[in-house]
Amino acid sequence: MHSNVLDSRSIGLGDAFGQRFMKEGTYRYNVVRPGGGQMVDEFPYEIVVGRAAADREMHQETVLVASKERRLTADNERLQIQAGDLVVWAPANGEALRFEVTGEKDFFGSSTLKNECGYSHAFGLPGDYAWRDANGGTTRGVVRVKAPKMDGPAGIERWKRNLANAQLVMINNGKAEPAEVDIEVGQTVYFAVVNGDGITVTDDQLLEAGGHDIGTKYDDAKSQTKPMPTKPKPTKRTGATRGTGKAAKKKAT
Amino acid sequence: MDITAAIDEPAADRLLDAVVGSLPVQTASGTGSLGPFSASYSASAALTNGNVDLIAPSTVRIAGFRVDWTVGFSFSLDISSIIPDFCFPQVCVNIPCVGRVCTPAPCINWPTRTITVPTIGDFLNVTADFGLSAARVGPDWEIDVTIQGVPNLQFGAASALILAAIAAAATPILLAIPFLGPFLAIGVAALLATIGIAGVTGLLGPIITPFVSGLSFNVYKQPANFEAIPAAGVNDPAVFISIDDVQAQIQSTDEDELVVTVDVS
Repeated sequence: MHSNVLDSRSIGLGDAFGQRFMKEGTYRYNVVRPGGGQMVDEFPYEIVVGRAAADREMHQETVLVASKERRLTADNERLQIQAGDLVVWAPANGEALRFEVTGEKDFFGSSTLKNECGYSHAFGLPGDYAWRDANGGTTRGVVRVKAPKMDGPAGIERWKRNLANAQLVMINNGKAEPAEVDIEVGQTVYFAVVNGDGITVTDDQLLEAGGHDIGTKYDDAKSQTKPMPTKPKPTKRTGATRGTGKAAKKKAT
Repeated sequence: MDITAAIDEPAADRLLDAVVGSLPVQTASGTGSLGPFSASYSASAALTNGNVDLIAPSTVRIAGFRVDWTVGFSFSLDISSIIPDFCFPQVCVNIPCVGRVCTPAPCINWPTRTITVPTIGDFLNVTADFGLSAARVGPDWEIDVTIQGVPNLQFGAASALILAAIAAAATPILLAIPFLGPFLAIGVAALLATIGIAGVTGLLGPIITPFVSGLSFNVYKQPANFEAIPAAGVNDPAVFISIDDVQAQIQSTDEDELVVTVDVS
C-alpha cells in the first residue's frame, strides 16, 4: 500500500486525477512515475474526443493505471469520448506505483492542474494538512482531518456511510473556495480546478522538506516498510497547523 | 581407606547459594511460535538458590529456586490477517456548472509490519528435585547436583503482562497506517485474541524452560591423583594419594546430611 501523500503531482491509492476535454480532437498521453513527465517523448495512449450532441450532459470515463514489473500501464489504450466529457485516472489497486499523467499537449497533465480538471485525495491519517501550489502560486488551503469517533459497530457504520460524502474545493484563478475544510479520516476532498496558470495541490510539509523534486521523493512499494521521511507523524500533526500557508498562520496565531 | 565428610542442610544451603550465585546470567536467542506468528526473541535468565531440603537417599530438593528472566521479541504481522481488507464506497461530488464526478472505489490491502515488543522481565519460583551423581570425569572426580525432570513453569501473570505489551507495541504502528485508525480497536483486539494467553505461554515456555531443565551444578571436584605431602628430601619422597571411588548420598539420621565417602589408596 502506498503512503498517503497529499500531492496532485503523484497519484497513488486513494487519489484520482480528472480532466475534462472540451474540444474535439485526439489527445495523446502517457502515464509515468511522478516527476517523469518532463522527460517523456512517447505518448502511447489516446483520448479521442468526438463531437457532442447538443445539450448532452457530461459523461465520465475512468482509466485505471496498473503496474507490471515496475512499468505503468493504462487499462484503455484508446478511449473514445465526446466533447465535454471527463476522464478520470486512478490506480487500479494498492500495488500500482504512484504515477502522473502527462499529456502531449500542455493543457493536460496531472503534474500541473490548469483548466477543467481536478485532483481527489482520500486522507488516511488525522491531522491538519496545509497545502499550497508547489509551482510558487498563491493557491493554498487547509484540510483538517479528525479521527472519527468510534463507539462500537454503530460508529464504524456511521463512519463508512460518511466516507461517501466528499468535500469539494473549487479553485478558480488561483483562489481556493473554501480554503479550509473539515473532514474525517478516510474522507475524500475533490479539488476542482476551473482555470488558471497551472497549479498543484501539495502538502506544505512536503515542500518544506524539499519535495519540489518529486522524482526522488516519492515512495514505491518499499514505502510499506519505510515511511516517507517527509510525511509527518499523525501525532505531531494533530492539533497544530504546521504549514506556512495563510490559513495556517492564522490558525497558529 | 575411606574418608567420609558430611554437611547438614544449612551448610548445603550455603554451598548451593555460592554455587548458584556464581553462575553467569544465561542468554539465548532464536525463533519461536507466538500463536500463529513466528517471533524472533532474545532472552536471559539469572538463577538464585532457594531453600535446600535433603531427602534420603539421593534427592536435593530446592524450594523457591528463583529464575529472573527477561525476554524481548519481534514478529511480522500481516495486518490483513487480523483486519479484513477494506474497500471504500464510491465517492461522488457535484461540481457546479459541470456535473457529477465520481472517483473509483479503492480497496485497501493492509500491509505487513514488524511489531517489536521491548524487553520484559519477570521471575519464577520453582521447586525442583535434584539428584546427586559422583563420577570420574577425565583426571578428576566430580560430584554434580542435577535437576530431575523438567519442572512445570507457570507464566500466568507474565503472559497477561506480555499481551498488554504486545498491544502497546502494536498500537502506534497500526495508528500510522493510513485509513487503519478507525479499525484500531478491532485490530488490537483481534491481534490479542489471535495470540491469546496460550500463544504467549507457548512462546515463553520453550524459551525459559531450557534455562532450568538440564540444570547441573558442580559441588565437588578433586583430581583423582594428587600430591598430599611434598617431598622433604632425597630419602623422603612426596606422598601421592589416589582417589579410587567417590560416593555421595543423603543420609537421614537425627538430621538430614549430604554425605560424601571417598575411597583412597
